[in-house]
Amino acid sequence: MKINFTLNGKSAEIDADPMAMALDVIRDLDLTGTKEGCGVGVCGACTIMVDGEPVSSCICVVGTLQDREVWTVEGISEKMPDLIEKFIDNEGMQCGICTPGQIMAAAAISSVDITSEEDIKKYMAGNLCRCTGYQTILNAVEDYLAIN
Amino acid sequence: MPSTKTEFLAPTSIDEALQAISYEDAIFLGGGTSTALLYKTRLIEPSRVVWLGALRDLSGISISKNEIRIGSMVSMSKISQSNELSQLVPALTTAAGVIGNARVRAMATIGGALAHADPRQDVPPALIALDAVVATKSSGGSREVPLAEFYEGFLETVLAESELITEVKIPVVANRRSAYLRYTPTSEGDYPTVGVAASVTYDSNNKAIKDVRIVLCGVGQTPILATDSAQKVIEGNANPESLREAANLVKQAVDPHDDERGSADYKREMSEVFTLRALRECLA
Ligand SMILES: Cc1cc2nc3c(=O)[nH]c(=O)nc-3n(C[C@H](O)[C@H](O)[C@H](O)COP(=O)(O)OP(=O)(O)OC[C@H]3O[C@@H](n4cnc5c(N)ncnc54)[C@H](O)[C@@H]3O)c2cc1C
Ligand code: FES
Ligand code: FES
Repeated sequence: MKINFTLNGKSAEIDADPMAMALDVIRDLDLTGTKEGCGVGVCGACTIMVDGEPVSSCICVVGTLQDREVWTVEGISEKMPDLIEKFIDNEGMQCGICTPGQIMAAAAISSVDITSEEDIKKYMAGNLCRCTGYQTILNAVEDYLAIN
Repeated sequence: MPSTKTEFLAPTSIDEALQAISYEDAIFLGGGTSTALLYKTRLIEPSRVVWLGALRDLSGISISKNEIRIGSMVSMSKISQSNELSQLVPALTTAAGVIGNARVRAMATIGGALAHADPRQDVPPALIALDAVVATKSSGGSREVPLAEFYEGFLETVLAESELITEVKIPVVANRRSAYLRYTPTSEGDYPTVGVAASVTYDSNNKAIKDVRIVLCGVGQTPILATDSAQKVIEGNANPESLREAANLVKQAVDPHDDERGSADYKREMSEVFTLRALRECLA
């Protein structure tokens, strides 16, 4: 089935099984920044942005992306270079497997009202990291929000 | 991935959706969060999926003097972020805002959340405490079912296979307060060990208590309405002793099972603790 949506700011038409998961379809387009971790919606490694909100692409039926605005970490890196800078400045990553998801969650954070560090923690809570202990990720996100 | 090809339809009107669903093994798809998991692991292999996202009629929230109406395709994130709703029905916005993680909340719809019928889900107890009614349509006509009568068992509701939830209606009740609290000892994004929704309605002078609802999730096969506990609170007009008695009585209403979120005994104890806290929060 043909599915039309906006992908990283450009209109895209793909021919895919509408019941395939967005994660697999996106990676097949050579956008391999989006990673698979748990495959069940829990870890956040596969986070993409749909209409400004974060979505687990591993449990996102691709047919439901029809007519929507989709961003992956590749597009966000170009659109929000400051955010990437802040992750680098703060060493907000170690092994890096969770990093695309952390960046996508941080990029989507403007879709909610954030007034405190506690709010950031709550919002980012579903993006698991086995390496950093989270503090450097939080520092990166706070730094980014401070300049935006 | 399932081997058989599943047909994917995106109807743009309710009539079209009802036509599309009257087909062997067809299922509705809302946000897809629970369906995707079942589909990926082949626990379901529907011949046809009828996605409701192109149906604009189901995506609005309307609030009038007497009633709140939420279309079945409204997402948890939209509900949890509505300031108007959080003024009127805080139990609902709180419950919608604690589900899983931000990504689940962005996708999950209220229709899907109700139809899924996992007894650990957060939103059903909140909506039962608020006297919500589920409006449905099917080829046989329309009906409205109080959510308190909607659940029949684990993953089972009164919905017929081809019955579409169109909206959820919540009465706007003067002098009603509500709260939802949940206990997730392992991690924030987990299903709750127990969740408790409470609502307390005062009379027009805001003094005597007219009505109380206490509803629990995670501690039975369906959400559990603790009517005896509620009665205690009314009789004692929410004096501290009546709250303690009500919380204690909850232990007889629940029917928990041992699992990774706690033993049955532990869940019973936590039901008492969190009922008391939910009532206090509601009255604060
Ligand atoms: C990682 C993860 C964590 C979670 N954590 C929590 C949690 O902490 N608390 C909690 O409460 N829940 C939790 N959930 C469950 C989540 O609430 C449900 O998956 C979600 O609410 C289902 O909504 P949906 O729109 O995605 O449903 P879908 O998957 O689209 O549909 C679910 C079911 O409802 C049917 N359906 C959908 N819409 C309609 C309609 N309008 N009329 C009739 N039938 C319909 C479908 O046919 C299907 O059977 C979690 C889920 C995930 C994936
Ligand atoms: S891989 Fe999608 S949330 Fe973990
Ligand atoms: S950097 Fe290794 S999991 Fe986060």
